[in-house]
Amino acid sequence: MKTFMSLLKTNLNVYFGISALKYRFTKEKKRLWEPILVLFAVVIGGGSLLVLYSFLLLGVFMGGQGIGHPEIVLTFAFMATQLLILIFGIFYIMSVFYFSNDMNILIPLPLRPAEVLGVKFIIILIGEYLIALPMLLPAFIIYGLGTWSNIFYWLKGLILVLMAPILPLVIAAIFVILLMRFINIRKSKDLMVVLGSLLGLFLGIGVNFLTQSIPQGNEKEFITSLIESNTGLIEAIGNKFPPSIWATLGLTSPGWQGLGYFLLFIGLSLLLLAVLLWLGNAFFYKGYLSGQEVQRKAKAISAGDMEKRALKTASPVVALFKREWKLFIRTPIYFMNGIAGMIMVPFLMLMPLATQTEKMSEVVSLAKDPKYAPIAALVSLGIMLFASSMNLISSTSISREGRTFWISKLIPVSPKDQVLAKLIHSSCLSLIALILIALPLYFLLDMLLYRLIIIIFIGLLANILINILGLIIDLLRPKLEWNDPQEAIKQNLNAFLAMLAVMFIMFILGGIAVLLALKGISELWIYGILALIIVLLSVPSIYGLFALAHRKYNSLEI
Amino acid sequence: MIEIKSLSKSYNKGRVKAVDDLNLHVKPGEIFGFLGPNGAGKTTTIKMMVGLLTPDNGSISIAGIDMMKNPLEAKRNIGYVPDNPDVYDRLTGMEYLNFMADVYKVPAKERKERISYLLEMFNLTDAVGDLIKSYSHGMKQKIVLTGALLHNPAVWILDEPMVGLDPKSSHLLKEFMRKHCDQGNTVFFSTHVLEVAEKLCDRIGIINKGKLIAIGTLDELRHGEQADSLENIFLELTEI
Repeated sequence: MKTFMSLLKTNLNVYFGISALKYRFTKEKKRLWEPILVLFAVVIGGGSLLVLYSFLLLGVFMGGQGIGHPEIVLTFAFMATQLLILIFGIFYIMSVFYFSNDMNILIPLPLRPAEVLGVKFIIILIGEYLIALPMLLPAFIIYGLGTWSNIFYWLKGLILVLMAPILPLVIAAIFVILLMRFINIRKSKDLMVVLGSLLGLFLGIGVNFLTQSIPQGNEKEFITSLIESNTGLIEAIGNKFPPSIWATLGLTSPGWQGLGYFLLFIGLSLLLLAVLLWLGNAFFYKGYLSGQEVQRKAKAISAGDMEKRALKTASPVVALFKREWKLFIRTPIYFMNGIAGMIMVPFLMLMPLATQTEKMSEVVSLAKDPKYAPIAALVSLGIMLFASSMNLISSTSISREGRTFWISKLIPVSPKDQVLAKLIHSSCLSLIALILIALPLYFLLDMLLYRLIIIIFIGLLANILINILGLIIDLLRPKLEWNDPQEAIKQNLNAFLAMLAVMFIMFILGGIAVLLALKGISELWIYGILALIIVLLSVPSIYGLFALAHRKYNSLEI
Repeated sequence: MIEIKSLSKSYNKGRVKAVDDLNLHVKPGEIFGFLGPNGAGKTTTIKMMVGLLTPDNGSISIAGIDMMKNPLEAKRNIGYVPDNPDVYDRLTGMEYLNFMADVYKVPAKERKERISYLLEMFNLTDAVGDLIKSYSHGMKQKIVLTGALLHNPAVWILDEPMVGLDPKSSHLLKEFMRKHCDQGNTVFFSTHVLEVAEKLCDRIGIINKGKLIAIGTLDELRHGEQADSLENIFLELTEI
């Protein structure tokens, strides 16, 4: 037990970076505003989501009360939480159990596999509470207050809320352990990243679609009617995963019956946990080790082939561009994050229209009207810019090099040429994004071809400016110390700062465009003025970027 | 070939002196061994020599070119291999070599010859089409070494080059180093393996706590006492 606690303590420390954070606040005292800003953003963002969610639950509760089943709010919350944890738990567990770097240190230690697995499970569990508590507590409180429940409800409820994530997580873990024992998924870690990202993407779009389909102004009635017609549905889903029904019945049934369901829920959780630990002892290390064998094709290159490849010389800037391009395309997490924003944003923007077909056709016919076509083109430009700038390619460009940054410092290529290659790379991807977004709009709105070309051209100009700023931000404070490529892009504040910068530029350009349009200035003049402003901003920015690159490529130490 | 004058570097706002007023001169045709205990400042010195770290003080000149004033030109004359080869995992070996050849502007013909010669020597020809991700530590070391020597630099600066190499590759590398120096070039390398330093180096420098405490040929370091091994000299000098 002592070794287990010590292992747990060390792992908690490492996983949540407690010592590193302490060091930062007491010794380093460097950029203290950063974690504070992140915390602030999380509190604001999470808080507003929580309020929205609570209103939804209140609607569910009142709807349920109307048909004499107020406990539906509990079933709903338990079910949603457990399903979410089950699905995302699979990916979470895979990464912490099988893809984390610490396994090489842990396996040689004289520990039972179940101990290592138990510690990793607890760490994931703590992470899952960050999702489970905000999802369950509001429902628990709404029902408790709404039905004047007694002290037993509150006591049992607190235990159930704390136990709730265990069951789905255990099921996910058992699934993963068995899967890894028999299939070598480690080889296709990249595939898992893509699948995980796609799942997140679809979930995001799905939630958006659902919220958009709620008629504005009478949300409450809508939810009530939805519940009245769907009680059967919730129960049907609940029947497929009975523990969420047991949790509800354990809380709401009177007397012994309630206690029985309560114990059933807890008993099953603990039983499955024991099964997991037993399976862990038997299969965990075996599965991990069998995935360790590296596979190489060992394909010899023939002399002729070598000649062909070696003869392909390129200038340093082109060589750097090719390096950027290959590394970007071949690292799934970069690729997914680079294009996810571009795919997602137009989707989300068109969603409100797509779900309301009448409004949609109204807007489209208005946009097709030659009188409003110039405005429609400007709005399209706005959408394109917004979407294409959501990719994080330039603002993580230096950070992505990570520990290989020494190569960039070593090679005899000027910092100016190096950032130029990065600028060309990010702007190429921006152009692809612009075209991807512009084409549907072009067909949807019957846009004239010259307008399409102009807005893509201005979009590209603006994107070059945005990419220059992104590079400047990343150069000022690159994150070069990371172990997993994910950290370079997802846990990088530069991406967020760059988005703020982009919003600011959008705001200014949009404001100017609207002002000019209101003054009745002709379309081509508006485009001309916009292009001129962008170029005027870009020229000093690019010189600033080159100067900064010169300074930073020398002073950055790794 | 390498000229280092009063080189200093400190960390933690001057509290830890990693390299302290170091002076060093390595002549053409010389293999120079750089020794010292862990944390003595070997890697810091080497990183400053190749431009990865900026010195607080002092100057470095490589093949007569000042590293601070004309870094790009100086870098063209260096072939550097770090002690821990972090390379682009998601490029194939061949793509990495072509990238290095492009940025060092190696002409196609020379590139082809040197790539096949070095790959053959390090027994990498079969692996060069695979992603570097799949390489072992030693193979990564060898691909970095190959990439560093493609442009035939006059000065080789190698940080612990034998670590991770198999006996055959290690032997071939040592021969290659000798051949390079016989052509009037220079090799500067750090090592912990005193036997290698003893056999291979024309001159040896020992650094301790950032200061160069001894420099010279093995005989000079022995002060005429024939029986003394380099190990004894090293232990004596680095004792506190």
